[in-house]
Amino acid sequence: MQFQLILAIGVFIVTYLLIMSEKMNRTAVAMVGAFLMVVLNIEGQERALHYVDFNTIGLLVGMMIIVNIMKKSGIFQYVAIKAAKIAKGDPWKIILYFCTITAFSSALLDNVTTVLLIVPVTLVITDTLDLNPIPFLVPEILIANIGGTATLIGDPPNIMIGSATGLGFLDFVVALGPVVVVIFFITMVIFKYGYKMHYVATDENKMKILRLDEKKAIKDPILMKKSIGVLLMTVLGFVLHQSMGYESATIALFAASVLLLISKCDVEDIFIEIEWATIFFFLALFILVGALEEVGVMEYLASKLLTVTGGNMTMTMIVILWVSAIASSVLDNIPFVATMIPLIKNYGVMSGLDVTPLWWALALGACLGGNGTLVGASANVIVSGLLARHGQKLSFGYYFKIGFPLMIVSIAISTVYLVVFII
Amino acid sequence: MRKMMNAEIMEHDIKLRQMGADVYVINSKMCFVVFLVENTEIAYVYNINKKGRYFLERIKPYPLALREFDREEDVINIIEIDLEQFKNATHSHNIDSFIEINQNFNRSIRKFEDLFLYFNVPKETADAIKSRLTEIDEIIDAAKETSDRIYFKKNPDNL
Repeated sequence: MQFQLILAIGVFIVTYLLIMSEKMNRTAVAMVGAFLMVVLNIEGQERALHYVDFNTIGLLVGMMIIVNIMKKSGIFQYVAIKAAKIAKGDPWKIILYFCTITAFSSALLDNVTTVLLIVPVTLVITDTLDLNPIPFLVPEILIANIGGTATLIGDPPNIMIGSATGLGFLDFVVALGPVVVVIFFITMVIFKYGYKMHYVATDENKMKILRLDEKKAIKDPILMKKSIGVLLMTVLGFVLHQSMGYESATIALFAASVLLLISKCDVEDIFIEIEWATIFFFLALFILVGALEEVGVMEYLASKLLTVTGGNMTMTMIVILWVSAIASSVLDNIPFVATMIPLIKNYGVMSGLDVTPLWWALALGACLGGNGTLVGASANVIVSGLLARHGQKLSFGYYFKIGFPLMIVSIAISTVYLVVFII
Repeated sequence: MRKMMNAEIMEHDIKLRQMGADVYVINSKMCFVVFLVENTEIAYVYNINKKGRYFLERIKPYPLALREFDREEDVINIIEIDLEQFKNATHSHNIDSFIEINQNFNRSIRKFEDLFLYFNVPKETADAIKSRLTEIDEIIDAAKETSDRIYFKKNPDNL
């Protein structure tokens, strides 16, 4: 047993370090680590699969299918162009409207999907206005991560937390929604003054925005109506899933199946677009962390946490919030949350306390922490990559100077919120 | 990488639709085929889509216009014949000048296109170009009559 314990910790740490180093593909590394645990008999295949949270996997796949069909209709481009025209080409109003769209979209879809949808339109708008896209894209990155914090389905850490704890869509909205709204407004005010000199366009270029035709962005009006209908039904399903006794994955997969059927899209084409690498990354992480649980590491760590904090919930909550935020600003938050979930569960069992505030602290820390650095969240990395392909460079240092202080501000606001309203 | 590609496609899609285009994005595979024949690189690119349409283009040593095919055998057949003909041609002492003339033709086509698109060319100039082209056509036709045929598997497509 002692040998297996050391082996499990060794495999876990090496895998974690390799994922963090980003020298190799994270999914391949996680899969090798996970199945090494199985091959080394630290957990048998049956036990390994037992640790996989299929609710998280189902929810991710379901939402990916819905988004992949929806985006074929051109609805996102339509909404964004319409918003830019309502703003009459005024750069500050455009970024305010785009960030609002980003926040809502990110709350309903995952952050990476949101930035992949909003960034191309933003680049078209900044090209038209002949403006530097970076002062537009940096706020969008931050707001995508902030908006995603508000709901169960907005960010993978929340999906994992919700699935592991039974906390539902409304629980997330009620607990995290208010603080997310506050953080959104404060962040936008900071950007309004911080980037003031960049949000200036000539009247001629503003006129070019007004000449854009949002109707041309609609590729398939019938598909657009079907997609909106199914998305609204999905959101309603999420709102009611707890009272109806359904898991969130059931709602997402059912909606995805219906949309697949009625959209008449090529199923194979839609399935190609599912991010299988992400799905297998999750699968592998569940198995990896499951192995640590199997050998009792999580129980041990939880008992240590209990000893250090003395069962003081406020202190534990603040520690989890700040440690999660700092860790998530430099590490992938998915493996971090996958590790923290069994730790907090064990902490709850040992202390006999209601650990719900700790879940909110973990969600806020892991989601908002991603804003700290350019590598803190997938959305940040994606936007930086898209800018590079567009011939612009978003450097680590430049982003850090803006993202890290704003992340600290958001975590400070979250601390006050948790202490005053949640505990 | 796929995500980035999709985002880029979306950006192009928005711009092209605003210009009035209909844009169809098709999942397909693109294959680059490269042969090295006597230090001459012969390269093709072809695209296969799910509907079984093939788009083939020679890109080296000089470009050959894109053609569409229904069957995979047609693509392989065209490449096979093209390659055989190039292999034959490499034994000719004229191969370098043959490639050079082809490249010059292609460059002239591009220059002519620029002339037509960027300048208001007088009718006399257009007539002069037409007349020179007719002369070249006549030289090619005459050369066909006086030269020995070296490839018999299929007849020429344009001569």
